[in-house]
Amino acid sequence: MVKSIIVYCELLGSKFSESSYELISKARELSDSYQANYKIRAVALGLLIDEETKKLAYSAGANEITLIKDNKFFEFNNVSYAKAFVEYFNQNKSDIILFSATTRGRILAPRITTTLQTGLVADCTALDFIKKDDEFKLAATRPTFGSQLMATILSRKTPECATIRPKTFKAEFKYGDEGVYSEYQLNTTPKFLSELGIEIKSIQKEIGSTIDIAHAKMIFCAGFGLYDGAKNSYIEKLELLADKYSAQFAATRKLVDYGTVSHSYQIGQTGATVEPELYIGFGVSGAMQHIQGMKNSKKIIAINLDESAPIFDYCDYKIVEDAKKVIDELV
Amino acid sequence: MNIVVCIKQVPDVDDIKWTKENNLDRSQMLSTLNKCDIWALDWLHKMKNKNPKLNIVALTMGPNQAKDILNYALSKCADRAILLSDKFFAASDTLATSKIISSAIKKYVPDFDIVITGQAAADGDTEQVPVSVATMLDISDITNCIKLFNIDDTGIELEQKIDNKRYRIKSGAPCLVAINSECDEKYPLKINDYIKAQDSEIETYGFSDLGLDRNDVGILGSPTVVNKAFRPEFKKDAVLIENDIAQSIKNMILEVQ
Repeated sequence: MVKSIIVYCELLGSKFSESSYELISKARELSDSYQANYKIRAVALGLLIDEETKKLAYSAGANEITLIKDNKFFEFNNVSYAKAFVEYFNQNKSDIILFSATTRGRILAPRITTTLQTGLVADCTALDFIKKDDEFKLAATRPTFGSQLMATILSRKTPECATIRPKTFKAEFKYGDEGVYSEYQLNTTPKFLSELGIEIKSIQKEIGSTIDIAHAKMIFCAGFGLYDGAKNSYIEKLELLADKYSAQFAATRKLVDYGTVSHSYQIGQTGATVEPELYIGFGVSGAMQHIQGMKNSKKIIAINLDESAPIFDYCDYKIVEDAKKVIDELV
Repeated sequence: MNIVVCIKQVPDVDDIKWTKENNLDRSQMLSTLNKCDIWALDWLHKMKNKNPKLNIVALTMGPNQAKDILNYALSKCADRAILLSDKFFAASDTLATSKIISSAIKKYVPDFDIVITGQAAADGDTEQVPVSVATMLDISDITNCIKLFNIDDTGIELEQKIDNKRYRIKSGAPCLVAINSECDEKYPLKINDYIKAQDSEIETYGFSDLGLDRNDVGILGSPTVVNKAFRPEFKKDAVLIENDIAQSIKNMILEVQ
């Protein structure tokens, strides 16, 4: 039987998400570099995949694209999507399934793998093959213990499944733009959220939802050292300072969780991964999840009153001072 | 309204202890209640005070010392506490863990309405168990819950955050809700709460109570296995800036602009 890797691709409208191409390219690169001969299959659930997307997917490395099509798929819910994917999968099995560890990916993948009674490795930051008894096994590496311990995990059952953190790999559009496209018709009808007893009463877009800190060139990051209860004065001062220097304002998870800052500004494991030329942390202590999110910054300046703050082990320039004072001096 | 709240005792990841060989030294590490679970118990404490008719069962899978977090749950809001403990459960991955937890819920709280869990545990951080448990119980899941408004006989009302949107959601029972928010305890315990916990018994169940197969639990029941574990290494040697702090920073900013 031909070995294959399914890359589950998230459809946004009629286009694949950026991270879908990242995974397609990685799957193709793994198969080619080990001469393992896996067919790379891009699979999506939705209504339509446009022609440009198909070309991009093939040129990123996909051999085949399949759309599991149903009119009810304009609304995402993991129960219906999982049921549909499993129905398709049981008739079109693969050896490996890769998902992007987006919010949706992280709730869809475990439903699928639990139904298939197989394992799942979550939020991976590295993928490789290792050879065991003449067979290729997927070795997936992921952060644990608040990103302080990395674990490389193997699966003992097939399909071998993993969710991969977006931006871990780069999409490479270097293969031909042709391949095989097909659509799969479901035998069962998916359910809407309302049919599952779930009612969405209102949807609110967060202020700052158009912010994309991931591509910023310079970042001023507010840490818990600036927290002032409801007052927020130094966080606001830092926002103004960032504006003054055309830098991007960002924040740590703690500030977001305590409700002072929108999640759009969060750097870290559950926020954005950033790679600016210059990162300045103001009162950031350096929780490992945060470090993982900004460690690829070209230059890192850390300002913290606490000399033993972990961030001082991961920065280029260390300033042991009250970040509030430094902000006042810079303003 | 019968609520099962699943909680977990985790090593204190903010204070990890390492051996000389750079392995985790669990014997030296403190155990704490998972942060998302603190939030969940706190909110249920508030709800229970509002509506004493809520029937809350706290459940955890862990070694004997996990009784500590169950005692805390009993003092906060729980009417019953269940410990799932057995040497055969050790080294269970997320699939095996979910099998154990969902089997226990089916057997010991068969008339459950809503299951509440933390979304991720501070150690494994996979976010898989809540959805996996919901799948095995054949109920829907609502994850990324950051606010709970109300819980009564008609269901649960909450706020979910996915990417940059906030969804106000009402769900009927049965369903599972995964909490993805951390904060410190807001509703402090009173003397009566401690007394109530002392008077309650913790139900303890093991492998043979759940009627599972040996191949469902522990290492045998875990399709994923850790091949190796290592500390990420990318430390730097920082240059200390003591004088002309503001000017030094401004210079570096100008270099980028």
